Parts: sequence; C-alpha cells; structure tokens
Amino acid sequence: MASETSDGPLARWTQGVIEDTEQRNRLYRSLFYVVTLFFLVTTLFPFYWLLVLALTPNSLIRQGNWDLPFLRPQGFNWEAFVEVFQQIPFHLYVFNSFVLALITTVIVLFIASLAGYVFGRLEFPGRGVLMLGILAISYFPPAAFLVPLFEAFTGNVVVLPFVGVELFKPPRLVNTPGAMVLPFSALFLPLSIFILTTFYGQIPEGLEDAARVEGTTRLGALFRVIIPLSAPGVATASVLTFIAVYNEYFFSSIMALSNQPEQWSPLVGGILSYQTQYTTSFNLMAAASVIGVLPVVILVVVAQERIVSGLTAGALKE
Amino acid sequence: MAKVTLEHITKRYEDVTAVDDMNLDLRDGEFVCLVGPSGCGKSTTMEMIAGLTKPTEGEVYIGDRNVTKLPPKDRGVAMVFQNIALFPHMDVYDNISFGLRLRDYDKEEIDRRVDNAADIVQLEGMLDRMPDEMSGGQRQRVAIARAIVREPEVFLMDEPLANLDAKLRVHMRTELQRLHKELDTTIVYVTHDQAEAMTMSDRIAVIDAGELQQIDPPLTCYNSPENLFVAGFIGSPSMNFVDGEVTQNGLETEYFDVALDPGTIDGLSVGQRVTMGIRPEDIYPVAVDEGLQYPTNRIPARTDVMEPMGDEIFVYLLLEGAQEATMGTESRGSGQLLMSVDPDSDIQEDEEVNIVLDRSKVHLFDTTSGEAITHDITTTPVTEGRAERGETGGDA
Repeated sequence: MASETSDGPLARWTQGVIEDTEQRNRLYRSLFYVVTLFFLVTTLFPFYWLLVLALTPNSLIRQGNWDLPFLRPQGFNWEAFVEVFQQIPFHLYVFNSFVLALITTVIVLFIASLAGYVFGRLEFPGRGVLMLGILAISYFPPAAFLVPLFEAFTGNVVVLPFVGVELFKPPRLVNTPGAMVLPFSALFLPLSIFILTTFYGQIPEGLEDAARVEGTTRLGALFRVIIPLSAPGVATASVLTFIAVYNEYFFSSIMALSNQPEQWSPLVGGILSYQTQYTTSFNLMAAASVIGVLPVVILVVVAQERIVSGLTAGALKE
Repeated sequence: MAKVTLEHITKRYEDVTAVDDMNLDLRDGEFVCLVGPSGCGKSTTMEMIAGLTKPTEGEVYIGDRNVTKLPPKDRGVAMVFQNIALFPHMDVYDNISFGLRLRDYDKEEIDRRVDNAADIVQLEGMLDRMPDEMSGGQRQRVAIARAIVREPEVFLMDEPLANLDAKLRVHMRTELQRLHKELDTTIVYVTHDQAEAMTMSDRIAVIDAGELQQIDPPLTCYNSPENLFVAGFIGSPSMNFVDGEVTQNGLETEYFDVALDPGTIDGLSVGQRVTMGIRPEDIYPVAVDEGLQYPTNRIPARTDVMEPMGDEIFVYLLLEGAQEATMGTESRGSGQLLMSVDPDSDIQEDEEVNIVLDRSKVHLFDTTSGEAITHDITTTPVTEGRAERGETGGDA
C-alpha cells in the first residue's frame, strides 16, 4: 500500500495495465487503432490526393492555392475523367498493360508451376545449386539485360563477339507484345518459383501417390491435385506477377519505339502522354491514374482472401 | 485378380539398400501381409509393386505382364494409404470416382460403380460430404471405396488402419476380411501390427533389413519360424531366447540344462553354439505340468513382476544366478524368462517356483547364422511337429 501511494501516475497506470485484464485489453485495442490508422493514412492518402488533383481544374492546380490544412478539391471538375479518353485513346493503353500482364501471368504461372513442382517435390542432385542460381539471377538489375535484349529484339544479326561470325538473325520483336512479355516473364519468374516451391512442397506425398495410382501422370497429379490444393499460393503468385507487369514502364517504354498504343505502349506511357512539350495536364494525369488503378483494385478485391492467406502462409513457412 | 511376382527386386538409395534381392510369389486371390519392423523395406517393396518407386534391379510381374517399367496408372493396381490420402478439395463422390473419370467411363457406369462401392463399404448417403466433415473410420472407408471402384487386379494396402483408434481398427479388420471374401482379389497388405497380420492373411511375408525372412501361413510362421528374427518378431509377447551349447547329452545353458539327443536331430552337432527359443505359453509351473507329454527337468526360478491380462497372466521369471534387471515385455535380459499362466493360478510375486518347458515346443537356432535347426527336441517323433520340421528344415 505504501509503495502504491509513492508511485507516480505513469507507474500506477502501468501497474494497472499489467494487473487488470480490462485495462490491458483497452490498451491493446487503442494501439491497434493507432497503428491501423497510421497505415490507412499512409496508403490511402496518395490515392485521395490523386482524386483531389483529378477533380481540381488544371489552372487551379498550377495556382497552388490550397486551403491548408485540409487538402480538398478546388472545384468539382468531373469532366476530367471523360477528357482523359478524348485527348488520347487511353483505354487502349490500359488494354495493352492488361493484356501484357495477363499473358505474362499465364506464362509465369505455367513455368513456375513446373519448376515449383520439381524444386518442391523431387530430390535430385544439383537442386540446391539450381535454386541458388535462380535466386542470384533474380537479383540482377533488369537494366543490365536491356541493351542486349534491345539489340536482339530490333532484329539485328547476332554476331559472335570478337570473331565476327554471324550466328542467326532473330525476328524483329520491338513494338509487339513479344518484346515485352519475354523479358517480363523471365524477370518475374523467380519470385513465383519461390512462392510455388514452398506451396507445392507442403502438399503431402500421399496425395500425389494416390493420384498417380488412381490414373494420372505426375503432370496430371500436379494439375488435378497439387495446384488446386495450393490455390492461395497460386493466387498470390499470379496477383503479384500481374500487378508488377501492369505497373511496368521501364522495359515497355523502350521496347515500344514510340509512345503509341498501336506499338504496345503501356498504361504509364499513356499517362505520360498528357504531358507535352509545353503543357502538363496534371488533372488528366491524376484522373488517368485513378482509372488505371481500377482493374487492379477489382482483381485484388476478388482474390483478396486467398492472397492474404497465401502471403501469411508463405511468411510463416519461412 | 492376378498373381504378383517379384524377381530379384533390389532398391538401393545413395547409401542404403532398402530392399535386397527380394523374391516374392503371390498367388491369385491371396491375402498376403508384409510385416517387419520400421524401416525394414516393406513399404518400399509395396511402392515398387505400385510403381511409385522404381527398383534398382529386378522385375515386377502382375499377372503375366512385366510391369517393371510401367507407370502406376497402367499397372491395374489400387492402393489404400496409411494417411488415407483423400483429395481434400473433392467430395466423397468425386474422390471415389476420380480414377474412373480419368479413364473416361460414361456417367451411368461411374454412378453405378460408385453406388456399388459405397454400398460395400457402407457409405450410402454420404457421397456429397467433404472429407473434412467425416470421421477417421469413414474417411478410411472412402479410401477403400476409391480403391475397389476401379476393380483392380491387385489391392495394395499400406498400413491402412494404423491411424485409427483401437476399437475402429478391430472393426475395420473384420470389414477388410469380409471385403476380401466378397471381392476375391489379390491383396498385399503392409503392417507392423502382428494381430492384423495373424488374423487377416493367408500368408505372412516377414521382412527384415530389406530381405525376405520367411513367407508362410501365419501359424507356420508362429510354430516353425525359419530363423531367430522371425521367431522373435512373430508372437506377442515375443519368444524367450536362451543361448547355450550342445553337449553329448543335451543342451547346456548358463542357467539350466535341457536333455536332448544331438544325434537324432539333423544339423545339430556336439559343441555347436545354439540359441534355444521357447514361447511364454510353453513354459509351465511344475504344479500344473501333469498333462505335459514331454516335460524337461525342473528348472528352479523366482517370480518377479506379474502382468495380469485378464485371460492370462504374464509372469517374469528370474532364473537362478541371473541378475535382476529392468524388464519389459519386449526387452528381456539374459536369465529372464516370460511365462504365461492361467489367470486363476495362485502364483505370487517374489516366490520360488519350479518350471518345466514343453520339449515338443522348444526351438533351436544356430546362434551364428540365426537359422532354425529344429522346432521340437523330443526324440520320439511327434507327428505334427515332425511334418513341420521336415518342411522348414529343407529351407534352412
């Protein structure tokens, strides 16, 4: 009793939290809300800012008369969302990115499934070395591949260095999806391979054996039993790949020789074409960005449950 | 329905030989149990019959087909797994019909067969349940239905009852026997549970260290084990072993002597080191030995721990001069014997008793090679014992 009276308010409060369950739960709850609020603000504020910019007429944006501290749209210029499509065929840029992402995801999932099966379920000499190799290559900067790939995709004859012997003439792939899907697939494969290796490795051996005795090949067991049971992992790998390609600009801006939707210029290329030599339509860029986000938002909402369990399952496994 | 033949099957992994030159000849419609301790190669043997594992050497025949190089799906086998291995993302109907759907049977045929299989394993009305909504026994029945629905030539069962509780296991055991009677298909059954092996099988194949030790009907394995391993493995609690040496007038061990005439027993010579085996139920306290036709001399001993089982009592005996040691049913030290007596006998703990052994049930094994020499040391022929001895003596 004597010690309690000599304690300060902080010490008393601490003691209360330690001893009183209800007080402790109250603290946990408030901490949860504080942290949640922090993450919500940091993630949602940029999106809110995009909306503000899109709704504010471009002339007012450049004046910069924001009534601080509340950043709210100056005016309500929803026509920007229509103008986006009038100035350039923005939907074609979205379509390009969507198709590139879709093709890449399909290719990556197929190859990574085979690789994940082999790495996750089979014992063979050199497995560790190969895994390490994939890991190492996944850390190479993509820019390092750019020059040789550009050379090859523009259809230049491949020449043996120093000797000058012409080997073969690759097809000219620039301005086609091929020039983008190929490097994207290669770049995003390692991540998917790692995710799927973890997941496929967890499926009990007995299930695969059962499927094989029942009448599938190893490959059949992979597609009929292992992949369906690894749905969270497959969903995670595909969403990560899809979003990464959908956002990609570096490779595609170079492989599409000019910023035209007919040359498979991607979404970001479309957004940037609201910026000309003399004017920059910030409100249109913001509106286009909001529109561009929508397909991914829809995708994530649909796949949300599986992605969350997939990400945490993968994390726990490590 | 087909016979299964393994010829010189060997499976080597990098540093271990899991199965070593195994020859098995399973008859059509036979129920054969592969038994042995953990890691003896029995599951590997089964996986090689199924095709899940490729043998390093040797050939596998099912019926008259050489299936050594065929994948599992083309071998006409169905398998029931220890961990049941139902596909968790499919309901019972889809699980059972999985193999049929892969083989493009038409819908009516699949329905008919699934219904029939569900009927055999008593799963009617559960076809639309998911595996995680069922109990262990029901799941195991689904797994069995999945196997029988394909009407395979051979059933492979890899400890199918190991994960079930004791009561359910006994129940499923009888169901499997009924199933075998009904289907009359060759069944290869891997287990380490003696009771399963003894009760269900037509023949038991005892495997140790990747080698086939003996394949015979259960009672032959029990009464005439071909070597020390089979003798010690079959029977629970296991056989008592006492090391000794053959002399002119009998067998001399550290604790007692047993009279026998070495000249009348094939393969036995004076001076040979032998291991004598005697089952717990063939040891009698002197008080109740009247009916015994061929008793040994009285052997003095002292009772130690008693384990009343209800229908019998296991009595641990310390022979004169033996060290008192920690004991369990399966780890008897030297000089200790386990005797099984009638539940209403009046034997007490820590009491001097005289015991006799039934000489017609004494097994002798060569200590160095472990091979059986005889399963009966009476010199006057006992008809049954003689017959068995002749049969196994040839192999040994």
